Amino acid sequence: MKFAIVCLTAGLAWSQPLYDLLLKQGHVIDPANGIDKVMDIAVANGKIARVAANIPASEARKVIYAQGLYVTPGLIDLHAHVFGYSGSIFPDDSALPAGTTTIVDAGGAGWRTFDEMLDRVIRPAKTRVLSLINIVGHGMIGQAFEDNVADMDSEKTAAKIIERRGHIVGIKTAHFGGYGWTAIDRAIAAGNLAKVPVMVDDKILTLTGRTSKEKLLSKLRPGDMHTHVFNDRQLELVDRFTGKLQPYVAEARARGVLFDLGHGGGSFLWPVAAKAMAQGFFPDTISTDLHSSSIMMAESDMPNCISKMLNLGMGLQDAILRSTVSPAKAIARYPELGTLGEGRVADIAIFRLKSGVFAFKDAWQHKTLGTQKLECVLTVRAGDPVFDLEGRGFPEWDKAGKYEVIR
Amino acid sequence: MRGFFLLALTMPVGAQEIYDLLLKNGHVIDPKNKRNERLDIAVGKGRILKVARGIPAAHSRRVVDASDYYVTPGLIDIHGHFGADGVNPDHNCLRNGVTTAVDAGSAGASTFAAFKTAVIDRSKTRVLAFVSGAPDLAGKYPEIVLGPRMEDSLADLRPGDILTNIYGKTAPPLAEARGKGVILDSGQFWFRVAVPALKQGLLPDTISTGMDKNSLLLPRAAMTNVMSKFMAMGLTIEQVVERTTLGPAKAIRRPELGSIDVGGVADLAVLELRTGAFAFLDSGHAKLTAGKELRCVLTVRNGAVVWDSEGLSLTHWRDAGPYSNYK
Repeated sequence: MKFAIVCLTAGLAWSQPLYDLLLKQGHVIDPANGIDKVMDIAVANGKIARVAANIPASEARKVIYAQGLYVTPGLIDLHAHVFGYSGSIFPDDSALPAGTTTIVDAGGAGWRTFDEMLDRVIRPAKTRVLSLINIVGHGMIGQAFEDNVADMDSEKTAAKIIERRGHIVGIKTAHFGGYGWTAIDRAIAAGNLAKVPVMVDDKILTLTGRTSKEKLLSKLRPGDMHTHVFNDRQLELVDRFTGKLQPYVAEARARGVLFDLGHGGGSFLWPVAAKAMAQGFFPDTISTDLHSSSIMMAESDMPNCISKMLNLGMGLQDAILRSTVSPAKAIARYPELGTLGEGRVADIAIFRLKSGVFAFKDAWQHKTLGTQKLECVLTVRAGDPVFDLEGRGFPEWDKAGKYEVIR
Repeated sequence: MRGFFLLALTMPVGAQEIYDLLLKNGHVIDPKNKRNERLDIAVGKGRILKVARGIPAAHSRRVVDASDYYVTPGLIDIHGHFGADGVNPDHNCLRNGVTTAVDAGSAGASTFAAFKTAVIDRSKTRVLAFVSGAPDLAGKYPEIVLGPRMEDSLADLRPGDILTNIYGKTAPPLAEARGKGVILDSGQFWFRVAVPALKQGLLPDTISTGMDKNSLLLPRAAMTNVMSKFMAMGLTIEQVVERTTLGPAKAIRRPELGSIDVGGVADLAVLELRTGAFAFLDSGHAKLTAGKELRCVLTVRNGAVVWDSEGLSLTHWRDAGPYSNYK
């Protein structure tokens, strides 16, 4: 009897699986490592343990098959709203079902309110939430606050970034309705002090005295980002009369200024996007500007934004690059984030590329029809399958045993 | 002459109306009004104006061809969690055809006012609430706070109260509850309990999601997903629609909701029944595979299209004329 127990324990020790999770037979797109083919991915202790052609199923505690599906690094949404702004969303219920494992809040908090965001949003969320801190000390809480140059303190903003480097990745300036360059200048001054990039969302059609050309060529530094790229209210990307891409846009790009999609509820227009992309101008980073108005009719979640790019001529591999590696680099989080490299955190998304006829809607609620659409079916965050639409990681109910919750 | 006079008398004043929205030729399932057929639904000023065959498309500013879909009353989810630690009602209800959602106890007597300001008043979804331990609140906010109680244990319930999570891990005595006149609500459930219970004829009176920030992700406790699960367990589409419209309207004693009544508020769901290979999870994280799936393609709340995944009500941008920043 004793002998039997010893044998059993020894047997258990031997068969202890190497990996916690194994994703088998999916088509892996990992631009950082040049992978674009069917591979297996093994996860242990919340990290990518091995990426190889054929990892035995017996080596993992849980095996998820992904034949016919694409497996990518967890998406990084460079522009969303989860704090401060009245239309903020909850990160987990909107990001994780979309394959987004890192969400960057664009300006919801300022230096005065960031610690509240840390406690209320960043720490409780399963999603990794990072912040582009607003140059406005009170954050994005309304036009009167966002116009108040007295609350745009470069030193205090930089000090908060330096204090919270683990969470704050840059600065946002947005919606400034006043005349002149104070908001952008102070944001860039703070960026210089803290050595972080600035994301700009600016007005050009109101009486601000600011122009796209001057902003892109004389103000923004290499690595700074202009968001809402396909909305000509914030940036005149294409000439509104000739439809030609503005030459200063190409010059700014050549200098290293980045252009972020920032779809949003008013910032993705088919006429602008179609003209720009037909001339070869793709956004550097694909992001949603997800908030309560863009999440509904325009459905600006990451898989939909990527689908819109696909239907305007971007390749899938390229779109994944611009949703993983490129945003990670833009916020200096590469290669910790945005790759499936061995040893990196196991943030992984699994997608089905559906074919059919699908409607895609812009911010003005005009549609286009396309024939491919990306749908997230499973999301892994730090090694844990947090969203599994079809229960790929779980047994059939009549083979699941009595009543325990299956992990 | 006399015939003409009679006709003129029977014609309602203002019968020639211009509609804001016309849903044409959808398969309407409206259990309260015993409709289960192809009909047109005309909407104006936030109300249902006409339900009939052959309403002219030319009489409406916006026309949706619903031929490929089912059209139902806006769904009612009587069990969700929408407090600060829950989920956003609009993002998770309206996208799934739910136009009325009931919060199951996020707010107590002392926190109700804050909950009302932060969630109820700011949502497009009609958010109602069960508030426990605050009998005076129902009198103070009769539009929002519901009378019956909802519990997941039978002990304290009276006839007309609601027992939820009936196919959960600790399945309560359903036959006894039904005998007592208690309403049976699905809430969070396990296939391992629900499948045998349904086989014995213990169907739920109401189907709800029990959605919270965890169950929304795993097992995906969103309304059309939950309806699909019950269809996969053998209920017909008519049965699941009744249990998400008329059934919950009765349970929460709001007879004006959950139906497509001429003159009533225009809350509607347009649902697609897809065929393919699907699988659904339960709260025990076990799955059930199925060949059909229900999805919400369009939601009308108070007469306005608030969700339209197929762009059924929208114009193609190339047909929309020149664009302007001054929309």
